[in-house]
Amino acid sequence: MKIADGLKLIENGWIRKPKGFRVRFHKQTEAGVEAGYSPPPDAAPLNSDVTAWRYAWKLGQATRAAAETGEPGALYNITVVDDQDLPFRFYGSGAFETYNPKHIHDGNGTTPGDSDEA
Amino acid sequence: MQNEMSRLQALGETMTQHGTQMALALAILIIGLLAARWIHNRLSQAIRKRYPQSKVALMVCNLLYIIIVIIVILGTAVEFGAKPVNLLRLLTIVALIVTGVAIFLKPFIPTLPFKVGNTVKAGNLLGKVEAITFLNTRMRTFDGKTFFVPNRQILDDIVINYHFTQTRRVKIDVSIRYDQDLLKAKRTLESIMTEDPRVKPKPGPMVYVLNLASSSVDLGGRCWVENKDYWVARCDLLEKTKLRFDSEGIQFAFPQLDLHMNEDGVRAGGSGCPALGGLMGPGAREAADEEII
Repeated sequence: MKIADGLKLIENGWIRKPKGFRVRFHKQTEAGVEAGYSPPPDAAPLNSDVTAWRYAWKLGQATRAAAETGEPGALYNITVVDDQDLPFRFYGSGAFETYNPKHIHDGNGTTPGDSDEA
Repeated sequence: MQNEMSRLQALGETMTQHGTQMALALAILIIGLLAARWIHNRLSQAIRKRYPQSKVALMVCNLLYIIIVIIVILGTAVEFGAKPVNLLRLLTIVALIVTGVAIFLKPFIPTLPFKVGNTVKAGNLLGKVEAITFLNTRMRTFDGKTFFVPNRQILDDIVINYHFTQTRRVKIDVSIRYDQDLLKAKRTLESIMTEDPRVKPKPGPMVYVLNLASSSVDLGGRCWVENKDYWVARCDLLEKTKLRFDSEGIQFAFPQLDLHMNEDGVRAGGSGCPALGGLMGPGAREAADEEII
């Protein structure tokens, strides 16, 4: 195997480099709870997980009071996901963190609020 | 005296013959220049509002201003009695000369090594170039100050143009304690850089052992990012390095001084003391009777 081939193998298989990050959350509306992303899927993602986590934490702080009472506009299960919509570990703790966690059935049987709590 | 009188008489005659023409020409010149200035100001304001980033639009605006000024001057000259055909010929000749000089002498004319919008370091100033005029360059530093730097001074100084190359190298230098797992630290640092989307895969991130210092092993992480991402990427990587090393249990080094006590109670060792150099280093630590950090 040539060095170039080996390097390509390492690049593809060692550490996955996400193309970007989004903050995923559930939003309380008058009609119920709906999933959302920030920035939205049709917009360019954030290129820094540090920025994404800081943004997620601020969103969590800003809507914490509303999330406790369940008012419309409250955001639950705020977390950072990568370009493949997979949860991304918080760089500070190495864990999957979620702000304003809440057990929500989204129809697919998944409950995003089940991950590690902040 | 008689001579002066005849001169005044001649001036009076000229004023009688061409006075109205001269006044009209002067009025055209003044009103025309004022109007050109007004149009230019309004137009540039509108362009800045509508296209805040467009340099081409501003250039077109400036060009329009120059054309209006030329038309006003030509109009004044025609009103004053000049023949339009001669003026047109003169204008063509001037335009050809200017174009020729600009083309042939351009390589020999010293030019500034940056454009408007570039981030540059000229002398001790680091900032963004906002405007370049014939005499000076307007620079805005990152703390919000505006500097007007003479172009002559810039041409005489060393200039770093951060827009000249697409990518820039980020240095992440950390020091770990001698008793820490060096390979784990190297792997952790390399993975922090590799997984960041802004870090270029080619050339890939590298971690070097830079130095075996008196109280630390110095590691140097090197990776390449886009020029525009440099500052934020560097800050993010430093932050992630600190937190990841903490979560991985890798301890950073800090300046330390080892003191060793002899059996008779006299202090006999310490980093930085040449006479006691034999007791220095990690090997000496094991032989010490008592260690005080």
